[in-house]
Amino acid sequence: MSRKKAVKGRSSRSPKASPSGRTGKGLSAAAAPSSGLVYPSRPSISNSGEFYDMAFKVMLVGDSGVGKTCLLVRFKDGAFLAGSFISTVGIDFRNKVLSIDAVKVKLQIWDTAGQERFRSVTHAYYRDAHALLLLYDVTNKASFDNIRAWLTEIHEYAQQDVVVMLLGNKADSTHDRAVKREEGEKLAKEFGVPFMETSAKSGLNVELSFTAVAKELKHRTMKEPDEPKFQLQEYVDKEMRTVGCCRS
Amino acid sequence: MEKSSRSQPDGRAKDRVGSVDPYGFERSEDFDYESYEELMSEYLVVLTRRSIKWSKLLKGKSKVHKNVKVKRYVRKGVPNEHRALIWMTASGAQDQLEKNPNYYQSLLGAQHDPKLVETIRTDLNRTFPDNINFRKTSSPCMQKSLYNVLRAYGHHNPSVGYCQGMNFIAGYLLIITKDEEKSFWLMDALIGRILPDYYSPAMLGLKTDQEVLGELVRLKLPGVWQTMVDHNVMWTLVVSRWFICLYIDILPVETVLRIWDCLFYEGSKILFRVALTLIHHHQAQIQQAQSLPDICQIFKQITHGPFVDECHIFMQKIFTEPGSLSMTTLAKLRETCRARIIAEES
Repeated sequence: MSRKKAVKGRSSRSPKASPSGRTGKGLSAAAAPSSGLVYPSRPSISNSGEFYDMAFKVMLVGDSGVGKTCLLVRFKDGAFLAGSFISTVGIDFRNKVLSIDAVKVKLQIWDTAGQERFRSVTHAYYRDAHALLLLYDVTNKASFDNIRAWLTEIHEYAQQDVVVMLLGNKADSTHDRAVKREEGEKLAKEFGVPFMETSAKSGLNVELSFTAVAKELKHRTMKEPDEPKFQLQEYVDKEMRTVGCCRS
Repeated sequence: MEKSSRSQPDGRAKDRVGSVDPYGFERSEDFDYESYEELMSEYLVVLTRRSIKWSKLLKGKSKVHKNVKVKRYVRKGVPNEHRALIWMTASGAQDQLEKNPNYYQSLLGAQHDPKLVETIRTDLNRTFPDNINFRKTSSPCMQKSLYNVLRAYGHHNPSVGYCQGMNFIAGYLLIITKDEEKSFWLMDALIGRILPDYYSPAMLGLKTDQEVLGELVRLKLPGVWQTMVDHNVMWTLVVSRWFICLYIDILPVETVLRIWDCLFYEGSKILFRVALTLIHHHQAQIQQAQSLPDICQIFKQITHGPFVDECHIFMQKIFTEPGSLSMTTLAKLRETCRARIIAEES
């Protein structure tokens, strides 16, 4: 581990912030953690020893039990081990390096506890997230109904230009479904965020959800002034699959 | 006899040790059976010695009174056969149970808040899926007992209700006591008296203790503290699970149970001793960290390996390695940290 290059985080810009949160205005403000907000001038090495050109912080949020950890493990290891997950307590992260148009993009993906009382601990981390994947469970109406509250929370604590994507997870459960895909689409449109249904179990759109976010973030970083904006929703619409494989 | 053949009698350690531990947990695929067998051959001697001492001490008694000798005994480990009894009496849970007969049963029969029930249900399949007694199909079904204890506790203490982490605690209590009512009263002792308010919606006690740990590290291990400042790592990021889960799923089962022996007898100060020992013992490693992810990784690593596997030695170290830690210091730090957090949040 000591092989690595020192990576400058937020600390250089806010030297007063301390881990005890003593200084600064509030706990969340003072202690917004540095999190690999990294644009190295030359390739760096991630924890696993892999090279990368740029790094971004992505957070998984949503109610307890919607499948945040499953989605992450599916993406990271390609595995779905039914009934082998324990509830996430607190906050944790894993890294994955993706190759986006020949650029190595490291995603530092933060997994959070979904239970409401943990939010006072976790929202301090929204502040320097580049992207938020907001999940609900298509078999759990309440988790869908809470999406508005989540979006309000995101607006309050995250950066203005944070990339948000809405994901309706567990799309493989056809007979337990409680939220139609159209309802998800409608809500996403209302808030102007891209939307997809995913399944950590079948793998449906899991890779795409992370890749799309990585593409958007990479594009923002490397964009020439006269280059058009990356159209995230268009990309997602073109690439995504729906349950049963074809749209009716 | 040669040493190699003494430590490796015929057959493989894997066949002798078994793939499920005494508490019902399946051993992981990369479990090191040889090292475990070696470790246990030493620890069994300790366990036998302690077991004889405890039998003499208890001599058919159904209660123990707290004194210096018992405290010393507890620090050296309570044999599993006496654990439920010692935890119950030392924490005052036994008194509560006797004073409130049928209370637990009445909680089970009461009307329940559907939201509470739903929250608990979400976590049932996610509590110890690697433990054979917590499967839906196992008999007796500890998952059902877990549901009952958590539901009863949420009803008994509506200001806390259910907080993630409590599922693991109730699970361990059930594994040790094999009794719902005892587990319930031990939960009551832990959450109501022994621990500060870790699990209530504001989680103020948790936030306080994380900061208190930070202050203790600042006093005792300034180099580590500086590293955390340099990389802007909040303590909550690396230690919140240590406090919320009382080291379950962080340290090995046997080590956790030894910590809990002291937790029930001596109180929450023990949680700081464990944290400080882990940090103190690995201070050089932590100070070499180059980034926030590095630090997170190291804090995960230091909870694994021989240092924590050898629970008997580890438990001796927690009382020496971090140095003195008086209740007065702790109380003072808790007071100042708590006030600071309240001021910052308002």
